[in-house]
Amino acid sequence: MYTDRLLIIFIVGAYLLSPVIIEWWSEGGRAWYRPYMMWLVLIALSYWIGRGRPADRL
Amino acid sequence: MFSFTQVFLVAVGYLLFLFLVAWITDRGFLPARLVRHPAVYVFSLGVYASAWAIYGSVGYAYHYGYNFLAYFLGISGVFMLAPILLAPILRLTSSYQLSSMADLFAFRYRSRLAGALTTLMMLAGMLPLLALQVKAVAESIQILTGEAHPGSLAFWFCLLITLFAILFGARHATNREKHEGLVVAIAVESLIKIVAFVLLTVLGLYSVFDGPAGLTAWLDANPDALARLYYPLQDGTWHSMILAFFVSAVVMPHMFHMAFSENLNPRALMTASWGLPLLLLIMALCIPVILWTATAAQVDGLPDYYALAVGSLSGSHGAMLAYIAGLAGASGMLIVAALALSSMALNHLVLPARTQRLDESLYRWLLWARRLLIAGVLALSYMFYVIAGDHHTLTELGVLSFVATLQFVPGLIGALFWPGANRMGLFAGLLTGFTMWVAALVLPIVMPHWQPTLLFDLLGISHQSTAHQWHHVAIASVVANGVVFVIFSLITPSSRAERNAAETCAVDSLRRTFRWELEADTVEDFVASLTEPLGPVTAEREVTLALRDLGQARSETRPYALRRLRDQLETNLSGLLGPSVSHRIVDKHLPYKPQAENESSEDIQFIESRLELYRDRLSGLAAELDSLRRFHRQTLLELPMGVISLGADGEIIGWNLAMEHLTGVTAQRTIGARLNTLPRPWNVVFHDFALGDTVRLPQVEVQLRGQSRWLSLHKSEVVGTLPGERAEGQVIVVEDITDLRALEAQLTHSERLASVGRLAAGVAHEIGNPVTAIACLAQNLDHDAGGDEVAQASQQIVEQTRRISRIVESLVTFSHSGGIPQPVQGPVSLRDTVNEAISLLQMDPDHRQQMFRNDCPADHLVRGDSQRLLQVFVNLLSNAADATQDNDPVTVRSERQEERLDVMIEDQGHGIPAELASSLFEPFVTSKPPGRGTGLGLALVYSIIEDHFGSIRAESPIADGHGTRFVITLPSYLDAG
Repeated sequence: MYTDRLLIIFIVGAYLLSPVIIEWWSEGGRAWYRPYMMWLVLIALSYWIGRGRPADRL
Repeated sequence: MFSFTQVFLVAVGYLLFLFLVAWITDRGFLPARLVRHPAVYVFSLGVYASAWAIYGSVGYAYHYGYNFLAYFLGISGVFMLAPILLAPILRLTSSYQLSSMADLFAFRYRSRLAGALTTLMMLAGMLPLLALQVKAVAESIQILTGEAHPGSLAFWFCLLITLFAILFGARHATNREKHEGLVVAIAVESLIKIVAFVLLTVLGLYSVFDGPAGLTAWLDANPDALARLYYPLQDGTWHSMILAFFVSAVVMPHMFHMAFSENLNPRALMTASWGLPLLLLIMALCIPVILWTATAAQVDGLPDYYALAVGSLSGSHGAMLAYIAGLAGASGMLIVAALALSSMALNHLVLPARTQRLDESLYRWLLWARRLLIAGVLALSYMFYVIAGDHHTLTELGVLSFVATLQFVPGLIGALFWPGANRMGLFAGLLTGFTMWVAALVLPIVMPHWQPTLLFDLLGISHQSTAHQWHHVAIASVVANGVVFVIFSLITPSSRAERNAAETCAVDSLRRTFRWELEADTVEDFVASLTEPLGPVTAEREVTLALRDLGQARSETRPYALRRLRDQLETNLSGLLGPSVSHRIVDKHLPYKPQAENESSEDIQFIESRLELYRDRLSGLAAELDSLRRFHRQTLLELPMGVISLGADGEIIGWNLAMEHLTGVTAQRTIGARLNTLPRPWNVVFHDFALGDTVRLPQVEVQLRGQSRWLSLHKSEVVGTLPGERAEGQVIVVEDITDLRALEAQLTHSERLASVGRLAAGVAHEIGNPVTAIACLAQNLDHDAGGDEVAQASQQIVEQTRRISRIVESLVTFSHSGGIPQPVQGPVSLRDTVNEAISLLQMDPDHRQQMFRNDCPADHLVRGDSQRLLQVFVNLLSNAADATQDNDPVTVRSERQEERLDVMIEDQGHGIPAELASSLFEPFVTSKPPGRGTGLGLALVYSIIEDHFGSIRAESPIADGHGTRFVITLPSYLDAG
């Protein structure tokens, strides 16, 4: 069975953090753009992680 | 309001523009760098944002608040994890030319039925989403033109799209060619869609709110508008919805097609991991703004078409922007999905059912079949739209497709991550999932009176508005599907072919191919075998193409190379005919020889080559083990003795550098071949030895480039590490003992000389005394003799005794020369020594007229005894002078060879008789007539040179059948000390 450490960390992390994130999001009030900001942070993170990855690691 | 003609012409103009983009790309007018730029790939993935994203999302946000983001965030999550989740699929699809989910399942589960079932279910599952596109465009035209009958608008739109889908994607018979034109056109379509969507949002924002500040003020004044967005987040459906969109995003045929089949640059997947989420973020940001703008402006109509209404607020150009955005989303999705679905139907429904021979007309036939299937898929979409009527919202149609495609996810996860998954599990899981989809979602939506109470109670769905609770059905059906899939996979056996394919697809394992032997022995056999199913022209073309892909020669006969050719042919035919038909053709017409599974060995060479490719991916213990493997491999490779590893079937799996050096045959040529196919003389030597019972051959003579080489061969069986395990092959160690043998011969020769020397000393001593006595007696006789006759006889006796004495003196000198080597002394100038030898020889009346030439440079010094070296040159020059006419010069020259000096003594004489060549330096060997030579001169020279740590050899003839050259190699003085 294949397991990737990053995938496991992501799944566990998403499961543990999701109630907190949803709560933070729901309490946004006027800051309706909160989910977009979080999304933008994830995009920046993806860019940063993928930046130095060699092509043959794909 | 626009007229129908205006709106229709805009659609035709837009599609013509897209076709023009595709055409100029295919004709090569756009630079390759631009076409293969990652941004083009990212934009082409924007096909995901179909008309549902433009129109339906706003309606979804109106009803379900922030839950609409799940549609955008789900796929963003998949792409953010692209290196882990998508890269293995891309690797598989590009390596084995798999163009769809059905191809992947048919390949992985080795089942035509899996391909056919996937195709049918995918087609059924996608029809609502395709119909949604048709409905969205038809209704948007209806809104813009006020036409009463959207059905006829839909018909014309479908006809137009069919024409363009055929023009775009069905110009090639096979899926092997990447449709660069299509990729660029879809990328341009996404760009237009996004720009139009953002523009209409900004126009609406400024026309209603006068900018973002106005919007904020309006939101402050209308807190309900914000609350409606937040409220649905509380009902707990968010998790299941994002999961549903997360997993179904890639399974959808149009996304699979653009992400994997049309990927022009694998590296672009990394860019897409952040590029596509960014693109979708921009679109998702527009949706609440459009919703609030429409609410604030109190526009009429369905929330699904608020984008059109908001566009209309800023005039006709705004409405046209919304229409173009929707048209772009719908047409892009329809074209790509129709191409993908037609390809699946061709490979898994039409081609396997075709019983006729696939002959020369194959490519043309494929092209027409593909075109008809595209038309068929779009016709079905139109029919679904007509049957479904206008009772359903875009959301209802959309969720039907999303939940359907979700059912392929367990099979996909099994294919990539679980080698234990099998086809029975796949069938059982798919049927379970689809049954639930039909019973709990399709029928309640299409036929509202259908209410499966038991199922609804089980899933916790209230009996009203099933579509609103679709996420329950999605999660329940996919969980049931997955559980059944796992249970059936565990309790039913997998076939051998399926296990092999599972190894190929599994993310963490290498394909452990076995070395089964093929029935075909040559490339020509391949062509002949494939002629039956494909016809001569196609068979020849496919074999040539596969050889070119592999970079192999047509003369190739190595079993390893032929197996690779078979794999490549299967891969290439898979791109042409789909994996099911391709596998069937290759299995039937290029079979392996019957062989028990346990008689074959793993293809170590192939595993090694794959390990080399995957090196960067290894970490921890695996990386350590790989380093160890490399170390052992390098040790074997660099071993100064030749090593050949053979598999149990006699195939060469190892050929180290020493073997390359010894035989001049590279490892690349030999790996995968058999010993009897090696060039002469190696085929005979190694093949006989490998088959024979002898485990050691101490001396084998091999003729190589006219020279003898001596080899010592050893072999040993390679036995498995477990007790009772069979032999896995053998290893042959080859040692080149030519130099050792030469050294041995030299040693034997020296030993013989030493024995002769000891014998000579004894003989000289024993003969010397009686000869002296005879000489004295003969002299006395000469004094006392009266007659001339006696005096003459006695003088002859004295003369003969002198001759005996000379021979005895030579013997004594020779015997002394073989004694304990004298310590090597100071520098000796070759030039001076040779000059002295020449002077001495010219005192002899026989050699007075002889021409000598000394070409030794003055700085050529050797370390040694000048008197003994003088003796060497006197002997050699004297021999040369004896063999040469006076006017032919005898030449002495010397050359520096790194740390040594070569001295050449050359004459133009009659040369050395061939029969004496091998025993030239033996004592008493001479070519001179009796009385002229003792045969000890060269033996003496040999001894002296050996004492000086040098060597001597003779070459004769050197030119035109005459002449002799003695080459003496001596340590140079500078380096000797």
